[in-house]
Amino acid sequence: MEQKLIAVVASALGGPTSALNLETAPGDVEAWDSLGHINVVSEVEAEFGVSIPIENIADIQRISDFLPYLGK
Amino acid sequence: MKCAVLSNVNVESLARRIERHEVHVAQGYGAWTQELANPASETWAFGPSAVFLIVDGAELFRGQRGLDPALAEIDGHLAWIERAAERSRDIKFFLSTLDVPARSPRALKHGHPERQLEQHWLAGISRASANHANVYVLDLKALVEDVGRAQLYSSKRWYLGGLRFSVLGEKLIAKELQRVLDAQVGARKKCLLLDLDNTLWGGVIGEDGLQGIQLSETGEGARYKDFQRRIRQLGEMGVILGIVSKNNEGDVFEVFDRHEQMVLKKEDFAILKIDWSPKPESIAAVARDLEIGIDSLVFIDDSPVEREAVRAALPEVTVPEFPADTCELSAFLEQVYKDCFFTLESTEEDRKRTGSYLANARRTAERSAAESLDDFLAALRTKISLGKLRDDDVQRAAQLTQKTNQLNLTTRRYTEQQVQAFRTTPGMAVSIASVADKYGDNGKVFLGIVRKLSADTAELDTFLMSCRVMGRFIEDQILDHLVNELRADGLSRLRVHFVPTRKNAPARSFVERLAGGQVVSEDESGGKTWEFDIAHGSPVTKPPYAELLTR
Repeated sequence: MEQKLIAVVASALGGPTSALNLETAPGDVEAWDSLGHINVVSEVEAEFGVSIPIENIADIQRISDFLPYLGK
Repeated sequence: MKCAVLSNVNVESLARRIERHEVHVAQGYGAWTQELANPASETWAFGPSAVFLIVDGAELFRGQRGLDPALAEIDGHLAWIERAAERSRDIKFFLSTLDVPARSPRALKHGHPERQLEQHWLAGISRASANHANVYVLDLKALVEDVGRAQLYSSKRWYLGGLRFSVLGEKLIAKELQRVLDAQVGARKKCLLLDLDNTLWGGVIGEDGLQGIQLSETGEGARYKDFQRRIRQLGEMGVILGIVSKNNEGDVFEVFDRHEQMVLKKEDFAILKIDWSPKPESIAAVARDLEIGIDSLVFIDDSPVEREAVRAALPEVTVPEFPADTCELSAFLEQVYKDCFFTLESTEEDRKRTGSYLANARRTAERSAAESLDDFLAALRTKISLGKLRDDDVQRAAQLTQKTNQLNLTTRRYTEQQVQAFRTTPGMAVSIASVADKYGDNGKVFLGIVRKLSADTAELDTFLMSCRVMGRFIEDQILDHLVNELRADGLSRLRVHFVPTRKNAPARSFVERLAGGQVVSEDESGGKTWEFDIAHGSPVTKPPYAELLTR
């Protein structure tokens, strides 16, 4: 699950998985700007088949913050 | 190349998905007409060769009250677009068609202004395209129709960042733009080579016959006729068409000349390679004859074995996967068009091209692709499972004698009762073999009937193999094995008959590559009997490569 999450984020940002870990935050990676953030959220939603409420999206500060939304 | 994307919504994320080209996105996405109108704008300073206008219908009419002001707004935008196209004739403009979702709940009687707006826009950009050689219509509305709004748009991305399209939508649109850009730097293929059996028609002409193949205006055979229509359209757009098929030329010409449902005619093809040589050799010969690069060829064949053979021997050839479900043939060809032959416009010259290649086709000696063929055969991991006929094989054995026309030495047809009787006739041995390879099991495809004529001599009453696995020297290896068995039984001579028919040219080439035979009889119709001394060797010269198991 965590590995897949990192891979999905990497794919959304168009970079290698190796550059990321669960603590990686927007700003740590050049492509993860405000537009990149929207793409990361969209790709995570699509790949895991979940919907993250718009109110909570600003609270996602690092990759691990997605985990509570992904279910089991 | 350099391109600019202008839009009335945020297309920054979309633009990032375009590869291999330099993309400029105008800052401030509400200002797309101003960008167009102002010759000093950043967009023009960037110096694009192509400008894409991606117009979002919902955004275009946001806040509009009533149809007439909306139509007037469209006219205003169109005027600016035409002016820009007029001013910059060396820049290509790609204008998107419009999708306008219904904005408000309304009674049915109230009409459908969205459709009118879409129509008005389409009429306007079509007129611009007709009036200006550098203006093209990019049909994004078609994408909306194919994919659906729920998939193509995303309200969350809209509210978060003014991004109208979903990730999927952006990817699909970026692919369209990518294709348009790539087409201008010229990576277009030139020639489409097609297999025949189970590709241009259903079934195998050599076995099913003229009336047996599937090809019709309606019903199941229509999927092949529709496929042929699409292929002909490609030909009309300047794609050179060719045939590469393992078949008897006579059978194929009969289909072209006599099958009423054939859409494609012989004249539609610049080249017809119809023989029994390995397809990589034929394809290499096509490139030489037509004097075009191997890398400008696209090859379509239903057989995974042939596709793999071509990919292995000629990696420069584009070999698309054939659809598993032949109902998808037309959609498949549409994709092949987009991936390989997409073009912004087709000129009169393009349309004449097949004809000129036909005239120029030059026959040259065929280079042997034997080395790559051996490698390819080894990589197939062919397994032959050979055994004496069992009770439950009888039905298939009779069917093989009835249906096999091509690799069949004697073409003797037997009923199940006759085959059953052979099993218990002293001096007769019936063998059957199935063949599997890395692509799967081809089933029972070989049948051999050996009859003892005397204490030291046997004959091949029947030796046949289904065309499914032809061209892989499996028959050579099986005959070699049967010869070894006969020798172990104390036999020293084997008689092999060849009875020519209209369809068994493959059987002729098989007997002709056997070595050391003495002709013992010959008749006027071309029938021949050879006798081979098998006491000290085998008539088979091709070295075995498959794994042969006996049961």
